Amino acid sequence: MSVKEKLKRVLIEDLNLEDVEPDEITDDMALFGDGLGLDSLDAVELVVIVQKHFGVEIKDMEEGRPALQTISTLAKFIEERLA
Amino acid sequence: MRMAIQGIGICGGFGQGVAALRAALQTGRVEPQEVCIEHKGMTDRLPVYQAAVDGLTEFIPKRALRRIDHFSKMTLLGACLALKDADLLEADRSRTGVVIATGYGTLKTTFDFLDSYLDFGYSCSSPTHFSNSVHNAAAAHVSMQFKATAPSLTLTQFEMSVSSALLTAQIWLAENRVDQVLFGAVDESCEVLHFWRKKFFAEGEQGPIRPFALETQSAVVGEGVSFLLLTRAEQDAAYAFIDRVKLGNHDVCSLRLPQDVRLIVGADGHKETGPWYAQVLKDRTATAYAPLYGSFPAAAGFDLAVAALMLRERKLYLLEDQGVPETTDLQATEEKLACLKFGPAGDYGLIQLSN
Repeated sequence: MSVKEKLKRVLIEDLNLEDVEPDEITDDMALFGDGLGLDSLDAVELVVIVQKHFGVEIKDMEEGRPALQTISTLAKFIEERLA
Repeated sequence: MRMAIQGIGICGGFGQGVAALRAALQTGRVEPQEVCIEHKGMTDRLPVYQAAVDGLTEFIPKRALRRIDHFSKMTLLGACLALKDADLLEADRSRTGVVIATGYGTLKTTFDFLDSYLDFGYSCSSPTHFSNSVHNAAAAHVSMQFKATAPSLTLTQFEMSVSSALLTAQIWLAENRVDQVLFGAVDESCEVLHFWRKKFFAEGEQGPIRPFALETQSAVVGEGVSFLLLTRAEQDAAYAFIDRVKLGNHDVCSLRLPQDVRLIVGADGHKETGPWYAQVLKDRTATAYAPLYGSFPAAAGFDLAVAALMLRERKLYLLEDQGVPETTDLQATEEKLACLKFGPAGDYGLIQLSN
């Protein structure tokens, strides 16, 4: 399973997005606001999810903000740290 | 000070709402579900009265519930049903207080949070789990959802939680701090509770519950929520009046039961409370309804809802194991019921109601 696919699955499970299917989350859909509709509380959960499921730490907002834009940017961030 | 019961919102192993409770009382029987307990490669089974909360989406959009745990969902559902029952879903609630009674609190979320802490360290513990694991989270969800800006409080005193919380509601109403109180009794079950109850009580947790086999362990785990919408008694009551709430300890100061009341006891198959009921009941007859919803501290709130419903409908329902399932007509006026709940150390809560 690719990082992107795993990300979509854990987002749905850990954020309880029961009304969303993995296929409905496109790689370039905005995670916050009009896209997937996540909010600031979800951002805190996302930091925990990334560390828990991928072992990658998002240390501060400086590196978190660009990473937490879309599935693509987050997957790229994780893959770079795991490389 | 007397309080008037204007609405009931209830959800348990028997279903959701007053109609489901009435149906359970009429049939006199509710079958628990069976859950699996897995431990060290072994699978065990346990009967549990579980409460479904699917009716909540009638009141609150599903997406708005995604950060809310099962305990708070049950609480919200009970509050919604009570307000709907009282026809007050659209009313101004700026002077509505919220008081929640719970014996265990948010068990599942608390253990989930502890598990994540133990498994992944504190930096990977879910902040949402943490905020939901706080005992007052459910009361806060109710206050926010209904814009109930008066006091909001959660009380935990195990088996005495319901009586204790009712006293708080009574004080708020007497002091004119509020015009109404959304009073809720709620407890949830979870895997950890199932495991330890099975380990401690073994076959004594297999059911069926026999409330009056006072020397025998016959409890069945339960969960659910029972809400009452309370006002001062200067208004007519849609259901019944709560005349008196008394907390005490029978070992310290003997409980003298009033003679002019019919008794509903919270005997729920826990044999450690059996001797206390045996001491005070002696020649008195009593009824018990734990076989309809299970054994948990907040079930005293279910007894209260049953009493209120029976007073409104002027019917006394008896369950199968207490003779024959039957219905007795209550007097049209001046009928009195009392709900008695004992804790294992002799603590008791006595709530007297009348029509």
